[in-house]
Amino acid sequence: MNQPLKEGRTRQSSFRVIYPPMGYDSIPIAASNAKEFGKKKRVNRAAKLKQSKLDVRREQWLSQVKNKGCKEETNGVSGVKMPAERNDINPSGEENEGLRNLCSDSESPFNSPMSSVFGSNRSPSHFTSNSSSSSSSGGCCSESMTEEDDGDNECLDDWEAIADALAADDIKNDNLESPEPDSVTATMEASQDDCCARAWRADDVFRPQSLPNLLKQNSFPCFKNVCSPSTCPICCEDLDLTDTSFLPCPCGYRLCLFCHKRILEDDGRCPGCRKQYDHHGPGNLSSKMGRSYSMIPRR
Amino acid sequence: MMNSGSLTGGRSWPSRTSLTSSGKRIQKEMAELNTDPPADCSAGPKGDNLYHWVATLFGPQGTPYDGGIYFLDITFPANYPFKPPKVVFKTRIYHCNVDSTGNVSLDILEENSWSPALTISKVLLALRSIFTNPNPYKPQVPGIAHLYLVDRSKHDALAAEWTQRFAK
Repeated sequence: MNQPLKEGRTRQSSFRVIYPPMGYDSIPIAASNAKEFGKKKRVNRAAKLKQSKLDVRREQWLSQVKNKGCKEETNGVSGVKMPAERNDINPSGEENEGLRNLCSDSESPFNSPMSSVFGSNRSPSHFTSNSSSSSSSGGCCSESMTEEDDGDNECLDDWEAIADALAADDIKNDNLESPEPDSVTATMEASQDDCCARAWRADDVFRPQSLPNLLKQNSFPCFKNVCSPSTCPICCEDLDLTDTSFLPCPCGYRLCLFCHKRILEDDGRCPGCRKQYDHHGPGNLSSKMGRSYSMIPRR
Repeated sequence: MMNSGSLTGGRSWPSRTSLTSSGKRIQKEMAELNTDPPADCSAGPKGDNLYHWVATLFGPQGTPYDGGIYFLDITFPANYPFKPPKVVFKTRIYHCNVDSTGNVSLDILEENSWSPALTISKVLLALRSIFTNPNPYKPQVPGIAHLYLVDRSKHDALAAEWTQRFAK
């Protein structure tokens, strides 16, 4: 019983990876936590971690596709996909306690306003019906923490994630959801979606103005792969990380840099929409690509 | 033999073992055609040359080409897919978009209209569509196009006769 829960929680932590709002501000804080926490984790289940990460990330992508179309305000509605994974925090309450302590120790400047916000967003009934209501705030903390835990090796295993997540099956998710009690599920859905899917709500006074919410979601390389192929449709070579974050045309047609260069040397029209690449201007390109864009001859 | 393609001057196509980007792309299209072939079509390499295919189209029902089996040669340029493949009917057909030597006038096969995103599978679908919908306004054989426009039944009768004669 204990083992599946742990594994489930590990997934849970990976699941948090992509949530944007915590991203920028919590990086230095959570880095220390990630080390502490990472030691334990890597020793025990380094092998399982990768697979579970991929599963969870895949889930995340799928739900992000749904979320993307929605405004921030509708987050509560659009997040309905997520509660199943999030709920399995609860049975492993002890671990979350530990997490929460970890967080509150080092994250005190951030933790206090955050948790107060979450508390106020949630109706009391959710606390009473929840056997381990404390775990919800713990979940929030682990969210910010594990985000960095994954974030540091994001670039390294990204391409693997793309390939493997596509092939991954849903059986893993069933295992993941099974240990949770049904009674908790219903109430948790409503409460946790609101507050845990994002660290800040759109109308939150504590939410920093500078926090680019959707921007980070859109620029996250993993997310791109949901709607883009893993190989270049022109030359059929694998797309690397630079290629996958390369969006040369607003029509959304993706291709590798080599093929793009070749087309620019030729007629310079996007294979997807047959419009001239030049019409869209290099601004979009260079901002997305930086270094890689220098490979393309300017005309 | 296989890996000496570029060394022996007689073969103008890239060798198959050292795959160029076009080779990889063509192989992928071949695999996709095998797993998910379009209706009433088939296509594949003629021999061991990846750049020279033969395709088969079946005349669709409800057209004068019904019952006909049409063979086509498809030749991939070395810079495929940046340039379109060349498609030639090897079976004679009475069609305003196919001339007597088998050259096809199909917009997506023209260099300006071709997109590297197109595949042989889509080309086959487009070829199939000209069976049902000839384009008399961009004809390869103006006489047939004219007949198609002014006397459709005579055109269809002639086309059906050619189908019987050449495509069965």
